[in-house]
Amino acid sequence: MAAASSSATPASPSFNSNRSNESGDSNNDDDGFVDEEIITHGADTGFPSFMIPDVFTQGPPVRDALVTDTSRLQDKTVDTCLPYLSADHGDPSAYNMHGVRSLDREKHVRFLHGSLGRLSGRFVAADASRPWYLYWSLAGLAMLGEDVSGYREAVVKTARGMQNDEGGFGGGGRQLSHLATTYAVVLALALVGGEDAYEVVDRKAMWKWLCSLKQADGGFQVCVGGEEDIRGAYCASVVITLLNLPLDLTPESPAHSGGLSDLFAGLADWVRRCQTFEGGISGQPMAEAHGAYAFCALGCLALLDDPRRIIPRSLDVPRLISWLSARQYAPEGGFSGRTNKLVDGCYSHWVGGCFPLIEACLSTPAADARTSSNDDRKPAVADAAAAAGTKPQLLSPAPETLFSREGLIRYILCCCQDDTKRGGLRDKPGKFSDAYHTCYVLSGLSSAQHLWTLGPSSTSDDAAAPSWSVSPLYLDEDEATFNQEDRVRPIHPVYAIPQETASAMREYFLAKEGFF
Amino acid sequence: MPPKGKAAQKPKGSEASASSASAPTQQQQQQQQQQQQQKQTSSSSTSSPATTTVLERSHQRYDESRGPYEAAAAAVRSQKAGGGLGLSALSREEQIGWISSLLARSASARARANLGSKAQRELWRHVNEASLPVRCIKKTTSPEQQWGTDHAGQDVGRYSVGRFADRSEKRITLTTLEVASRRFLEARDQADKKLRDPLTGEEAVLTDREFQEEKDRRREMASLRKELYGGVSEGQLQFALDPEWDDVEPILQDEPENALAAISYPAEYDEAISYLRAVMLKKEYSPRCLRLTERIIEMNPAHYTVWLYRASNVFALGLSILDEIEWLNGVALKNLKNYQIWHHRHLLVDNYYPTIASSPVLVVKFTDSEREFLTEILAEDTKNYHVWSYRSYLVDKLGSWDSPDELASIERMINDDVRNNSAWSHRFFLVFSNPAHSSCAEKKLGATDFDPKVPATIVDREVQYAMDKVYEAPQNQSPWNYLRGVLAKGGRKLGSIEKFVGEFVSALGEEEKEDVKSTHALDLLAEIWAEKGEREKADLGLRRLAEKWDRIRVGYWEWRRSCLNEGVAAVVAAS
Repeated sequence: MAAASSSATPASPSFNSNRSNESGDSNNDDDGFVDEEIITHGADTGFPSFMIPDVFTQGPPVRDALVTDTSRLQDKTVDTCLPYLSADHGDPSAYNMHGVRSLDREKHVRFLHGSLGRLSGRFVAADASRPWYLYWSLAGLAMLGEDVSGYREAVVKTARGMQNDEGGFGGGGRQLSHLATTYAVVLALALVGGEDAYEVVDRKAMWKWLCSLKQADGGFQVCVGGEEDIRGAYCASVVITLLNLPLDLTPESPAHSGGLSDLFAGLADWVRRCQTFEGGISGQPMAEAHGAYAFCALGCLALLDDPRRIIPRSLDVPRLISWLSARQYAPEGGFSGRTNKLVDGCYSHWVGGCFPLIEACLSTPAADARTSSNDDRKPAVADAAAAAGTKPQLLSPAPETLFSREGLIRYILCCCQDDTKRGGLRDKPGKFSDAYHTCYVLSGLSSAQHLWTLGPSSTSDDAAAPSWSVSPLYLDEDEATFNQEDRVRPIHPVYAIPQETASAMREYFLAKEGFF
Repeated sequence: MPPKGKAAQKPKGSEASASSASAPTQQQQQQQQQQQQQKQTSSSSTSSPATTTVLERSHQRYDESRGPYEAAAAAVRSQKAGGGLGLSALSREEQIGWISSLLARSASARARANLGSKAQRELWRHVNEASLPVRCIKKTTSPEQQWGTDHAGQDVGRYSVGRFADRSEKRITLTTLEVASRRFLEARDQADKKLRDPLTGEEAVLTDREFQEEKDRRREMASLRKELYGGVSEGQLQFALDPEWDDVEPILQDEPENALAAISYPAEYDEAISYLRAVMLKKEYSPRCLRLTERIIEMNPAHYTVWLYRASNVFALGLSILDEIEWLNGVALKNLKNYQIWHHRHLLVDNYYPTIASSPVLVVKFTDSEREFLTEILAEDTKNYHVWSYRSYLVDKLGSWDSPDELASIERMINDDVRNNSAWSHRFFLVFSNPAHSSCAEKKLGATDFDPKVPATIVDREVQYAMDKVYEAPQNQSPWNYLRGVLAKGGRKLGSIEKFVGEFVSALGEEEKEDVKSTHALDLLAEIWAEKGEREKADLGLRRLAEKWDRIRVGYWEWRRSCLNEGVAAVVAAS
């Protein structure tokens, strides 16, 4: 049977038809016949025909016969997503000609405002993570183009009540300071901006507290007596660089027993130890590779030094890229968090957010990245070059995109939007939306819609502020599968807030001398 | 008319009066109740009653009691109006009645009359004999307000007589209980100070029974207060009602107005957290604090602060770690997705292990019991990240690397679901982080670096294991990733398994005949060919992945193709 062209590129989409076989080589010598197929298809169902590449409308070409719990769940997920991906769910007029839903901006904005309001008693489980609601909601609103500065006073008040005299912010009043909640509060303060907001932070106490979390092996505990993991490494790096804290250690810091000299000492090496045999990154050494931790690792490294230099020096980048790329599934188009796990909208950020960092670090080599002479690891050697005994060669510059941006955008807009009046974004169809998913799904959409590049490598030590610049992708109507008005605002690839808000906070504290 | 419906809506009232029968002063209570019942029955037999409200009864009584001087009042009114004889028209009896009632009602009138003691006695005797009203209700414009409103905003005057009596009874009961409660506090104070009874010389003690009675009493008081005055019910106030917590002043939530994402705490959570703040501030470590943490964890297991505080309590009190782990098992099974539970367990083991480290028997016993539990919980949630992370920590901590049971347990899980990547990950950790035959402990090597310390026999064994599993489901990526990991650790070329990998790809590039049983095999083959310098074959493999077999990753495959060119360019440049 003749099939519609099944090229995966957006420029020459095939049509939504489960009848086409999977081959891209099949003879397609009768255009008239194909047209007839399209018309018939449209007439049969009463729906208009959509231009959807069949990679998103049918199961993968290679499947095993063996059924296990994992494959059962995976098959079920594909079955759940397919109607959404095939523009076959709900009102057909909700889809554009590419079979992509429009972004329900208004509903999502309302949902996020609601998450900042009074939460019902059902949210008791969130009592130790309220700062996250601030960050998720404000970041989400900012990405949706809302002005969040109106929340300044409320954020200032709320944050003050969460700060401890010993430094840092807890999940609420009189809760222990925690790096995750501190990260969320600091980002929320940056998002609303302004001196009042910045001055909430007791930087001196913060610095002392961070020194008490810094461990002898280079990593950070998330709170005093808490676990040491890669979230701690990332959150600490973000807080230290945004607040321009000194790197010196207090005399009491546990890091001294490891012979470490400052807050960043040994951190890149600790992150390196979190890479696993699969190429991905685990939450702490000796665990399984996980998408959320990949972002934390890359984000942390990108703040320690020029990412083009430090990422290849610290990690096996080819294996990491392979693992990251394998997180994207078809037909879903979204990312999973681990090998053989299901897609989930939140990995649009955790995994999707790794690509701007990886792509930037591959496309423009840092000044001295090729001669990492004091490092005996040769992580990024092109195999052929190595085999030929040539000088270690850095990674090839990345093409424009290492992952299917179209696939991710389709998954986000078609599967992750709550289609009831509730609004918000979600893990996958059938799940409830929440502030967490709304924020990270939008972050993923943002990184899929934009291209980040790093400016020329600076020789200064100010590696924490590399010159990131951003440009929109898919400006050409013909290339974009989404509607232009559905473009969300870009966010900084490491700080995960709009770039100007991160810069403003950093500059404010750079201009300060000492702690006062 | 009294709203019957509303009265009927108060089922708790009946509960409370039922429970009051079990109060400490049972006999008195019963007597009171009997009296109350008698009163109720007698009052309802005289006046028409069930439907009578308190206000109506007041007016009724007022009207009844007005009789004796109604005539006098009428006479006065008519005289004032300019006609009639006034008081002189009344009989002497009536005149005395009228004057007596005037004097009885007004102290100032009595003062003005300046009665002698005999006259006063006479006055009161007369008042008594004639049952004259000594008080009377002022007829205000809004009689509804005379009795006030209850906590629900309902006018008490509109209560039915029965309900009003019931309410009054409850107030009396409450007062009685409050007195008893104060007596308890005094007794406890004396016991705390070890005071001696001046008569008997015995030291004051507080019995458990008294303690329990006080607890019950407070619960009853809370229930009565709620009924009478509103507010939270006794079930939600566990600590305020517990005499054990009397010395702790709870620290209420101090949330600024309009705080963002503020949670409307359920009352019981609010209360428990308020006590937590107080005891944490005092740095108190005690059995009651342990119970407090348990209660909060039940309601919110994600509260990291309470977990760390709990751990401090366990260690400060020197409690049995094994008991704590036993308790934790139940909590973990109830909260599969929770994070903090596993860090708590980690802290417990850090603390416990040194106490058993010198006894291999105890270490093995503990290792086995932990594995038993981990197996149980992983059966519920086979890929639980935190459980697996804890498991690898545990192996490292207890040194159970070479335990055949550990490896067998993992193999069983892989046999159950060959796609369980967490199990594969754990196996890799077990084999390649084992300090006996790896350099992992030195922490120098990356996960994909060659480790010369790993024996070839182990590499062979693991390669074979992964290959066997690939056959079960060739498109399953877990064993493929494992295989690559093993070859990297063994320092072997990918090409060493080319023949095996080739089994899953046939007739590459031959349109109709081309068959790929595993995209991971084709991926690996492309890399093997690149490794061998067969660039064109590698390029074809990557192209076919991009075009047909794994199209969603087209960007990645294209990048890999560009790497091939770079590699060649580098070779050319070098030569």
